[in-house]
Amino acid sequence: MDETVAEYIRRTVLKIPRNEIKTILEKWGFLSEAQLQTLNFHQIKDNISQEVVHLCEENSAGIKQAAALDIIYNHIYQNKRMWSVYQMKKSGEEVEYFDITEFKKKFKGRLRSALKNVTITFKEYEDNAIWIRVAWGTPHKKPNQYKPSYVVYHSQTPYVFISASVLKSNLPLLCQALIVASNYHDIREMELRSHSLNSLKDIVFKRYSQNFPTYTRKPPQGGNVEPGNADIRIVQENRSEKERIHRLNQEAFGSGPQPKLEFAQYRLETMFKSDPKMDVLDKKEPFRCLVKFSSPHLLESLKSLAPAGMADAPLSPLLTCIPHKARNYFKIREKKGLLPEGFVSP
Amino acid sequence: ESADAQKTAFLLRKAWTLYSVTPLYGFRRARLRDYARLLSAFIAAERQRGLAVEVGVELDIKVALSSLADLRGSQLDQAALLVQLSSRSRASSRNSEDKLVWSGWFCSVFGDDLSENVPEHFTCLPLFLTHGAESYTSLVGSWFQKTFDCCFRRLAISPLNLSWMVAMWAGCKLDRPASAVELVFSVPRLSQPLDISYAIHPEDAQALWDTVQKTPGEITQEEVDVFMDCLYAHFHRHFKIHLSAAKLVKVSTAVAAAHCDGIVKIEHSQYLPGVLMLLTELAISQIQ
Repeated sequence: MDETVAEYIRRTVLKIPRNEIKTILEKWGFLSEAQLQTLNFHQIKDNISQEVVHLCEENSAGIKQAAALDIIYNHIYQNKRMWSVYQMKKSGEEVEYFDITEFKKKFKGRLRSALKNVTITFKEYEDNAIWIRVAWGTPHKKPNQYKPSYVVYHSQTPYVFISASVLKSNLPLLCQALIVASNYHDIREMELRSHSLNSLKDIVFKRYSQNFPTYTRKPPQGGNVEPGNADIRIVQENRSEKERIHRLNQEAFGSGPQPKLEFAQYRLETMFKSDPKMDVLDKKEPFRCLVKFSSPHLLESLKSLAPAGMADAPLSPLLTCIPHKARNYFKIREKKGLLPEGFVSP
Repeated sequence: ESADAQKTAFLLRKAWTLYSVTPLYGFRRARLRDYARLLSAFIAAERQRGLAVEVGVELDIKVALSSLADLRGSQLDQAALLVQLSSRSRASSRNSEDKLVWSGWFCSVFGDDLSENVPEHFTCLPLFLTHGAESYTSLVGSWFQKTFDCCFRRLAISPLNLSWMVAMWAGCKLDRPASAVELVFSVPRLSQPLDISYAIHPEDAQALWDTVQKTPGEITQEEVDVFMDCLYAHFHRHFKIHLSAAKLVKVSTAVAAAHCDGIVKIEHSQYLPGVLMLLTELAISQIQ
């Protein structure tokens, strides 16, 4: 077995938490049940991985099998990576029958005609997701297996999720191969990034509970905003204010769980407007700012700001639009014209 | 000019943890070499007792104490005192370089408020800055406490003081391109914690401060409040969030950066005395 393949398998196994190694090896299916029985999973990981490499040698593992193990690892630990979303565009309206074999052939063909040294691995999952792993080389060097790119494509949709390797120069080629293989004519990167692949899918596939701005049903009388809150200090004004905030929050965010994003970034190029009494800055040029919100669960966090008294309700549309605009990177400029001041997000 | 710059170069672009220190009793400048020896022996003894700082590698810790005569505000201030811990692996040859593993320095920049009221035999160096492993800070601190009967306390920086810093430093004119003026807020008590980074283009922040500050060379609390209110208002206009209700935890400018846990990074020697003067003031108010 190739030295580099052995080392790669060894390092991949080392990444796996000890109590998950058996499950992942079983999913991989490259080692037989009998071989797996011989492994001692109660020793230190260093030794476990050495034993695994040994068994792989018995089976003459090659780079294909090693790459397959890596895809499985990254599918399970997908949230360790940062994913970007790309949208593909078709020129016509034709709905074509998707042929996975054709797709793979065209994809491989396009990449290999440009770059001789690539390792390409596919894996299909039950939710119609096609996972693609590409390890990149150069005309003179073998592919670097430690810095691959991952692509997740749901063939019934125009969306592709890419976790690029640090070798960003290969991105255009990857995009080209995708549109060629899937019969689209263009692809563009959306301003949407997150570690949570499922949340990105929830957003673009609209799988979360959305707000309904025209929904005006009043909550039932004495509706329980906070069940069990029997604080007698809360008088009617506070209660109705709380209910108002709750209702506006529901309208803005919907009542279901929010997709999980970790950050949102706003590049502000709007004018600075102040109270004329304050006698401060009155420039004709934009007040340039970069605002970044971060949280383990950003949308839930933003949703809780108004109830906590930290923000007005309704919250700014700049924040509430994140899921249905499917973006978390924004550039905000002043809207020109006679309309009351608002913001334009190109 | 450049000789000064060389001496203070070690201060710049490092994160320093801040402490306030009560006056040292019986400290004598002439005995720096003795002190270094004693501190070195203390550290060796503590490590023998099992307070190991580096597991595995056999290390000898060498201590150096020096005075930095130019690091002070006026002649009324004591000269700064620098403590450096270096290691040399016992396994390596005698010619190998010592590696600096920890530094700490005591200073006073325009600290007359404290020193003018202090009895004889006391030396006032109210500000202590450290860089390196916490375990070494502990050892050095313990020795100074035992030897000079002084008291160390972590210097927390309140949001009020952080807003002073950002207003002051945003207004500083620098002779090289500046980095953004950044304020970092934390909203911890939500169901999911939220951090907000608000970074302003340095030219625009400076332009705003220039229209707020009425008297050059003087800064009032009112001016700082107006500056901050402007930033809060601009933010609220866009996001409807009351940033003033969040906790200001960190400010960062081209001059220096400061964190509420009492950590400071000075980027630029140009405004060094000003920064140290402000920090000395904070240390003194924590002591008094």
